[in-house]
Amino acid sequence: MTTVIMRTTARIVVPIVLVVAFSLFLQGHNLPGGGFIGGVLTVAAFALVYVAYNLDYLESGVLGREVEREASIGQHRSVAAYRRLFMLGLVVILLSAFAGVVFGQPVLSQSFVHLHLPLFGDIELASALVFDIGIFCVVVGGLLTVFSVVSAE
Amino acid sequence: MTLALAVTIGALFAFGTFLLLRDDLVKVVWGLAIFSQAANVYLVTMGGVVEGTTDSVPVLADHHEPFPATTDPVVQALVLTAIVISFGMTAFALALSYRAYEENETMNVTEWDR
Amino acid sequence: MTELPAIAPVLVALSTGIFTLLARSWPRLQRVVVVAGTLGYAGVVGALSWDVVFASDGARIVYQVGGWRAPFGITLVADGLSVFMLAMTAVVAVYAAVFSVRFIDEHNQQVYYYPLFQFLLLGATGAFLTGDLFNLFVWFEVMLMTSYVFVAFYGNAIHTASAMRYLVLNIVGSALMLLGVGGLYATTGTLNMADMARMLAAGGVAMRPVVGVSALVFVTFALKAGLVPFQFWVPGAYRAAPLPVVAMFVGVTKKVGIYAIIRLYFTVFGTASVPTDVPGVAGDTPLAFLAPVLLVMAVASIVVGGFGALGRDSLEGLFAYSSIGQIGFIAVPIGIAAATASETLRKTGLLAGLIFALHHALTKGLLFLATGVIRDTAGTTQLSELGGLGERSPGFASVFLVGSLSLVGIPPLAGFFGKFLVFDTAGRQFATQTAGGFWAVTGASCLLAVLLVGALLTILYSTRAWMGAVWGDQTEPVQTSTVDAGEVAILATLSVIVVAVGVGFEPVYEFAEAAAESALDTDGYVDAVLGGADE
Repeated sequence: MTTVIMRTTARIVVPIVLVVAFSLFLQGHNLPGGGFIGGVLTVAAFALVYVAYNLDYLESGVLGREVEREASIGQHRSVAAYRRLFMLGLVVILLSAFAGVVFGQPVLSQSFVHLHLPLFGDIELASALVFDIGIFCVVVGGLLTVFSVVSAE
Repeated sequence: MTLALAVTIGALFAFGTFLLLRDDLVKVVWGLAIFSQAANVYLVTMGGVVEGTTDSVPVLADHHEPFPATTDPVVQALVLTAIVISFGMTAFALALSYRAYEENETMNVTEWDR
Repeated sequence: MTELPAIAPVLVALSTGIFTLLARSWPRLQRVVVVAGTLGYAGVVGALSWDVVFASDGARIVYQVGGWRAPFGITLVADGLSVFMLAMTAVVAVYAAVFSVRFIDEHNQQVYYYPLFQFLLLGATGAFLTGDLFNLFVWFEVMLMTSYVFVAFYGNAIHTASAMRYLVLNIVGSALMLLGVGGLYATTGTLNMADMARMLAAGGVAMRPVVGVSALVFVTFALKAGLVPFQFWVPGAYRAAPLPVVAMFVGVTKKVGIYAIIRLYFTVFGTASVPTDVPGVAGDTPLAFLAPVLLVMAVASIVVGGFGALGRDSLEGLFAYSSIGQIGFIAVPIGIAAATASETLRKTGLLAGLIFALHHALTKGLLFLATGVIRDTAGTTQLSELGGLGERSPGFASVFLVGSLSLVGIPPLAGFFGKFLVFDTAGRQFATQTAGGFWAVTGASCLLAVLLVGALLTILYSTRAWMGAVWGDQTEPVQTSTVDAGEVAILATLSVIVVAVGVGFEPVYEFAEAAAESALDTDGYVDAVLGGADE
C-alpha cells in the first residue's frame, strides 16, 4: 500500500481530517459531533499514516527518535504513549463526573457559561467539554493501541 | 417509508442470520455485525417520522409554517450508544477471531475442539 | 443523617477500576488497591442496605444522575431488591478478589486482570441499580464485554473457541434485547421503568405488543441466567474463564438475569392487565404469560443440569451443569409466584427464589473457588486423576464438605433454607391447585416430582464430586502437591459465612422479605422515582 499516490494523498488528507476531527470534537456538546466522533476521526488520520508509511514512521519520521527493533509491540514507545492517553482519559472522565459533587450537584451535572472574547464574539463554554476531552482521550488511546498491536501481528 | 424500512430490516436480519449459521469464522463475524446493525436500524425506525408540532418539538416555535417532518430524538441518542457498543463488540470479535484462528489453526468453526 | 446516594457503589467500583489500571506498573500497589477497593465497595453496599432495609423499613433511595429529573434523565434506584442483590454481589466479589490475589499468577495479573474484574463488578452494580430500561442494556454490555475477555483470558485453543461461542450467542442476545427495548419504547413512549409501570397500570397502552415484545427481552435475560434452552454457553465459558471469575459469573452475572426478570415482570408489568384468550394462560396480567414459559424452562433446567452434572468428568464441568440445575431451582418459585393470584404466595415465591439465589451465589462461589485450589495444587480438575485430597489436607476437605453439604441442603447450612423454602412454595402451590381440575393437579404434582428428582440428583453428583476428589487413595498429581494454606484460609472464612447464613437465618430472611416486598410494590416504586412529577 505504500505507493507514491498513497503517500501524497496521505500528506494532504491527514491534516484536513485532523482539523475536521477537532472541529467536530469542539461542537460536540450541543451539535452533532463530540468526543467519540472526533476521536474516531483522529484515529482514522493516524491509521492513514500507518497504512501509507509504516508502524515506525511516527517514531522515526515525525518525532525523529530511534526505534528499537527487537522490542515487542507491547513495549513499543508509541503504544505505551497511547496506553497512557487511554488512562489519562479515564481519569479526566472520573474527575469531571465528580466535579459536580464539589458544587453540591449530582454526579455528572453539567453547566455552561457564555464568554465574550474579542474577534471570536460570543463563545459558549460548556463543562461537558471536559467530559468530552476524557472520551476523546479514551477513544484515541484505546483504538490506536488496538490498531497498532493488531496490525503488528 | 415504513414499508421500505420494514423490508430493509427484514432483509438485514435474514442475511445476518444466514451468515451467522455458516461454518466460516469470518462469515460469522460479518453476520454478527449485520445482525447488530439490523437491530440499530430497527431502533431508529421505532422513533417514527411525524409532522412536527410545537408540542413535540419546542424549537419549532420560531419556525414558519408549514412545520417540517421530525423524528423522535430519543431513539437517535439510543442508537448512537448502541452503535458505539456494537462497534466495540465487532472490533473485539475480529481480534478474537484472529486469535482463535491462530490457536485452532482453522477458520472452520465445526472443526474446533469442543 | 445524610443518606448515602444510590450511585455510591457504582462510583466506588468505577474508581477502583481506574485506579487499578493506573497502578498496573506496581503489582503490589495494584493488589492493595483491588482488595481495598472491593472491601470499600462492600462497605458502601452494606451502608446502603442498612439505610434502605433496616434503618427506614422499606425506603427507596433514588438518585437522578446529572440532575435530570425522571423520566427524562437516567435514574438509579436502590430499593430492597436492588440492595439484596448488591449485598450478594459484594460478598462474592470480596472473596473472588482476595482469592485472585493468591490464585492468578504474576504474569496474568499484569494483563489487565484487576481492572477487568472491577469493570465486571461495575456492570453488575449498574444493572442492579438502574431504573431505566435502555441503561440496563448498557450495563449488560459493560458486564458482557469484560466477561468475553475473561472467557478468552488464557488465550489457548479451547479458551478462544469457548469465547467465540459465548460472544456470538451474547451479541445475538444483545441485539434481541435492543429489539425488545425499542419495541417497548415504541408502544409505551418511555424507557423509565417507573414511568412505564405507571402508564401500564393506568391503561391506555396497547398491552398485547408489550407482552409480545417483552418476550424478546425475556430471552436475553434467560440467556444471561443460563436457563434451558439457553444454557449452551455455560459449561464452555465456565471451563475457560479463570476460576475466581467463574465464581463471579455464578454469583453475580447469572443473578443479573434473574434480577432483571423479577424487576421487569413483577415490578413494572405486575399491575398491568391484558386480555387473554390463549389456552394454558390463566389470569389477565403479563405475569400469567411469563409463568408457564418460566416454569417449563425451570423444570427443563433442573433435569438437564442434574443429569448433565452426573455425566461430567471434570469438577468445573460438574459444577457448571449443577449451576444450570440450581438456576432452575431459583426459577421454579419465581414461576410459581408469577402463576399464582394470591398475594402471600407470590411474596413467598419471590422470597424463596431470592434466598435460593443467595445460597447458590455463596455455595457455588465457595465450590468454584475450591475447584481453584484443586487446580492450583494438583494441576488438574479431572475427577479420574484426583483422589485423596482429604488425607493430603483435612482443612481443605472440611471446606469442600461444607460446600457440598450446603449444595445438598443439609441443615443448618445456607442451602437448607433455600431448598426448604422452594419446596414450601411448591407445596403451597400444590395445595391451592387441588381444588382445580385434573390438569392443574397434574401440573403441580409434576412440579413437585421434578423438584424431588432435582434434589436427589444434587445429592448424587455432590457425592460423586466428594468421592472423586476428596476420598479414595491419593493419586499421582495429589501426592506431589502442596495445598496453599492461604487459599484454604480464605475459603474457610467463606464457609463460615455459609454456615452463619444458615444459623443466623432470621436477619437474612428479613432482608429477603424486604426485597420481595419492594419487588412487588409497584406503586411505591413509581412514587419514589417520579416523586410527584406527574401532576
